[in-house]
Amino acid sequence: MTAPRLPISSALMTPPLMAILALGLAPLTIVVVWSFWSWDPSTYWIKPDLSLAGYAGILEAGRWTVIVSTLVKAFATALLCLLIAYPTAYAVHFLAGRRLSIILLALITIPFFTSYLIRSFSWRLVLGRTGVLNTWLQDLGMINAPLDWLLFSNFAVIVGLIASYLPFATFPLLLSMRRVDPTFLAAAQDLGAGFWKSLTSILLPLTMSGIFAGFLFVFVMVVGSSTEVQMLGGAGASIVSVMINDVMRVANYPLAFAISTIVLIVIFGLVLIGNRMFGLSSLFEDQSP
Amino acid sequence: MAISIQVDHVSREYGPVKALDDVTLDIKAGEFFTLLGSSGCGKSSLLKLIGGFDTQTSGRVCFDGKDVSGLAANKRPVNTVFQSLALFPHMSVAQNVGYGLRLRGLSGSSLDSRINDALDLVELSGFGPRNVNILSGGQRQRVALARALVMEPGILLLDEPLTGLDERLRQQMRDEFGRLHKRTGATFILVTHNQDEALSLSDRMAVMHKGRIEQVDAPARFFDAPANAFVARFIGIDTLLRPEKIDTANGQAEATIAGQTLPVRADGFLDPAASVVAIRPDRLFLAPQGAPSSLLLTVVGTTFRGLHRDLKLAFSDGQTLVIAIEADADIGQLTVGQKVPVGLKPDAAVLVSSAGMPQAG
Repeated sequence: MTAPRLPISSALMTPPLMAILALGLAPLTIVVVWSFWSWDPSTYWIKPDLSLAGYAGILEAGRWTVIVSTLVKAFATALLCLLIAYPTAYAVHFLAGRRLSIILLALITIPFFTSYLIRSFSWRLVLGRTGVLNTWLQDLGMINAPLDWLLFSNFAVIVGLIASYLPFATFPLLLSMRRVDPTFLAAAQDLGAGFWKSLTSILLPLTMSGIFAGFLFVFVMVVGSSTEVQMLGGAGASIVSVMINDVMRVANYPLAFAISTIVLIVIFGLVLIGNRMFGLSSLFEDQSP
Repeated sequence: MAISIQVDHVSREYGPVKALDDVTLDIKAGEFFTLLGSSGCGKSSLLKLIGGFDTQTSGRVCFDGKDVSGLAANKRPVNTVFQSLALFPHMSVAQNVGYGLRLRGLSGSSLDSRINDALDLVELSGFGPRNVNILSGGQRQRVALARALVMEPGILLLDEPLTGLDERLRQQMRDEFGRLHKRTGATFILVTHNQDEALSLSDRMAVMHKGRIEQVDAPARFFDAPANAFVARFIGIDTLLRPEKIDTANGQAEATIAGQTLPVRADGFLDPAASVVAIRPDRLFLAPQGAPSSLLLTVVGTTFRGLHRDLKLAFSDGQTLVIAIEADADIGQLTVGQKVPVGLKPDAAVLVSSAGMPQAG
């Protein structure tokens, strides 16, 4: 559906377009262009000479393993968030009444009022050797000694990441479920489908755009996160943004930007694939009959 | 095979609101039955209970005498054509039509042939691979019908399926429903607020109002003997007159309105306080001057209605009635305030209960 073109539409379009160009595209262009410049370690100075040294630097000092482990963490977190968020969104949208759904949405949103730092730190109190979880498990007699792998481990990092970014999966899913006419589910039931069949044959396919949007949001947030790894990760645990921060300390912009460019390419690739396969853009379109 | 339905003292309450209030109804196997009423009358609530999409607060719903209250929608021998059609947008026409059969375990050529038969039945042969989202309104309607009928249901529920179609398509699909009912022999239940649909299709119909059934009858009976003032008005008998008194002479009841008497058919109601005289406009005529047994009424005005003209006439106490006269009739002599004689054909006036009559209208 295209809106009728007003004569002033180009005038109205200009400010947002300028904002997007200035705030979004320009920095990205600088990132990509500078990643191909050269850096002099003796002066910490960068020169506009074409060089692939930045990209070569990714292969040094195990930096590429940090990128890979970041992508794996992001993938795992996004997947786990979807597994938790889908039933949550289903419950909020289809099962809860109006009041309960508002309460549930508030409960999902309220943790966002505190900073990532505080929330990550609070997980230390839960997962630590003398934390809530270990105490409970010991009191219940399920373990004899505190579990060490609960904190300062990949487990703790993933828990922290899920807790931080779960709403980014929940809300796109809710949005996509709201677009599904409940009579579709009634019709499936009418034709003999039980709960699981109507879920897999009707609701999942029709919410695919929300599933992918939720996945992408969490994925992108995790790739850009640092607090959770710093607060909850084990010794030597790293993640792309922490690594970039380290590199920036010596003003090695080409290397930092080369890492950023690689991450950008992965994310853009994901967006393109998602749009191609799941119709991501349909989530924001008008509902057509 | 066609299935009969027994609705036994069913109520459905939403908090303090009674969507259905002690409804009892028998629908015969193979019947085309219509639930007619304005929005909010409870007709859709009743349909949901029959389809299994909702549970009644009290009472029983039985199919062929067996209580199905505990049976979920996906286990009932019922299929529905939804008001919004609810065609699955991510499936082709054939996938939509074959959805229920695939759940029953059909596949391969037997599935394909059943789908094709169903599409032939609704005259959409060859539409299988098409995208349901870009079909026309009438075609989408047919796909929804095929999707329900391919299941060979004992009961087909039609929930206002013609709402949103233009008039021509409406008539076309209406004829289609009649044809398919004869072809399949299933029990059809249509929910509608459109009287034309109800009258032209139904073997019997129920007029509902505020969660209750006002009358269940064959369509023609509603006009011959409306159960009460509400039903009479609902089906378009707008002239409802309050009688001053009712006398019976030689087995013929006569009502007196503003000093003039007219013969009425009374089926038991004789209490002038609790009854009104319903007058069918098609059984009134302008009599020649001085004709016997006619009313003398004052012209209030005429309204052009297309194929006919409404002539509004008043009694001396202010009550009015409307006669349909030919659109090109000479209305020059019908000046406002003039008195004209009106004749009544047999059974033009029926005495009905005043239940549902607006107060002091």
